[in-house]
Amino acid sequence: MSLLTPHVGSQLVDLGSAVLLLICFAIVAQRRLSACVDLFALQSVFLAATAALVAFLTGIHHIYAAALLTLIIKAIVIPRILRKVIERLNVTRELVMNVNVPAGLLICGGLVMLAFFITQPIIPLGFLLTRDSLAIALAIVLIGFFTMIARKKAVTQVIGFLVMENGVFLGAAAAAYGMPLIVELGVFFDVLVGALIIGIYTHRLQDAFDSVDTGRLTTLKE
Amino acid sequence: MTLMMRAVLLVIAQIIVLLAVSPFIVGLIRKVKARLQLRRGASVFQPYADLAKLFRKQPVVSTTTTWIFTATPYIVFASTLAAGLLVPVFTSTIPLNFAGNIIALVYLFALGTFFLILAGLDAGSAFGGMGSSREAIVASLTEPAMIMSIFAIALTTGSTNLSTIVHKTALLEGIVTDPSPHLMALAALFIVALAETGRVPVDNPATHLELTMIHEAMALEYSGRYLALVEWAAGLKLLVFLTLIANIFAPWGIATNMEPTALGIGLAIYLMKVSGLAVLIGAVESMFAKLRLFRVTDFLGLAFILALLGMIFFYVLRG
Repeated sequence: MSLLTPHVGSQLVDLGSAVLLLICFAIVAQRRLSACVDLFALQSVFLAATAALVAFLTGIHHIYAAALLTLIIKAIVIPRILRKVIERLNVTRELVMNVNVPAGLLICGGLVMLAFFITQPIIPLGFLLTRDSLAIALAIVLIGFFTMIARKKAVTQVIGFLVMENGVFLGAAAAAYGMPLIVELGVFFDVLVGALIIGIYTHRLQDAFDSVDTGRLTTLKE
Repeated sequence: MTLMMRAVLLVIAQIIVLLAVSPFIVGLIRKVKARLQLRRGASVFQPYADLAKLFRKQPVVSTTTTWIFTATPYIVFASTLAAGLLVPVFTSTIPLNFAGNIIALVYLFALGTFFLILAGLDAGSAFGGMGSSREAIVASLTEPAMIMSIFAIALTTGSTNLSTIVHKTALLEGIVTDPSPHLMALAALFIVALAETGRVPVDNPATHLELTMIHEAMALEYSGRYLALVEWAAGLKLLVFLTLIANIFAPWGIATNMEPTALGIGLAIYLMKVSGLAVLIGAVESMFAKLRLFRVTDFLGLAFILALLGMIFFYVLRG
């Protein structure tokens, strides 16, 4: 592989991370729930590809396993569960949000800046594989968190949570060359169970309030 | 051959390529859309026939219009062509490099848009005014996004001259100078290109439905050779945007010297690149529905934020 020099390799990892961030912004700007799920699945595919690239560049083989698990669980299984939930609940789009789309985009831009300023002192330490991926990973975590706050529908809040998890995974792959495999397995299991629980919780929400708007939960009183 | 003559020949060649290829790109996008809808569609060369027919027809001009109405098609066509001459097409060193940089390019487009808006108002019809007001909204939202995305690229290469940017990137090893800012800028510029040239998520070039049209509404009063010029300029603008995207973000294969073989290869690769982008636009237009006018701000806001991020990437991480 003479074509894939370390320089080009780290550029490709940066490019993959930037694609993930780009998809985050698309999720923030997207109102249709099914499109949000599709974008999350796409993000997971790119995440798996970036992780596989990191595995190839560093020669650490267990990252391949983590990348494969990402592809199966986050790009296929979880989106399928979420699509079923959306289909059963019969909600297609989110019309009212806590923060509207243009303001949300501006806030996310601010969050990215924040992430960059925070990670700036770490970059000169020199143990990172690439220049941008740690900053981008932190930005993705923050944007996922923001999505959970800004959206009212339970399904998009789940997507925010999953995007956060993607950010954590990218950070682990780019900065620490992946977590130990046993930790990765635990995290994947948690995420899967989390998605299932939130799926059931959304059904209960729908049964109780005829809506998946989590704002209604404040009316729960003894 | 003297240096001067060679420069003049290159400029003439660039004018001919831009003028000759732009109707083909329009036809190609229509063909792709037709095939994706399982129609046979008109030949990709149909726009040439349309233009030829329009040039032969006698134009009808309303008696209520002023000189702005008749001057606008020429201004729009000339400003778009001038903008096209500032962009490297098949060779990275263009003779008119000294004449202007990317800021000049943006405002040459803005000049054409401005006069088209005036012409839409000039005839005094309700549709023209509606189209003009919508175009003004879209133009005012795309301009900052376009400037920002181009600045992000200019920062990573250290020059605002397009020829220098493309030349530097083409001679580089690795993928591009700096992948993350470039990707953000590319996404922003692609959105801007869709909005500025009136493609689907923002405007629909295939319809004359009064509720949705923007560009068509402004050009509604035009006929004959005036219409031909406005349509040709629209195709030219689309081609210049595609050229900009192709050569800034993927300058591979562009001629970096003046050898005839390099120029020939550069031209062939250029045609492949813009055709590929045209197919992509046709696919995007088939996959997405047109946005409601009030959602266009979300879409263009996204472009602005991405372009801004491209610049911030550069300042924070490399500054």
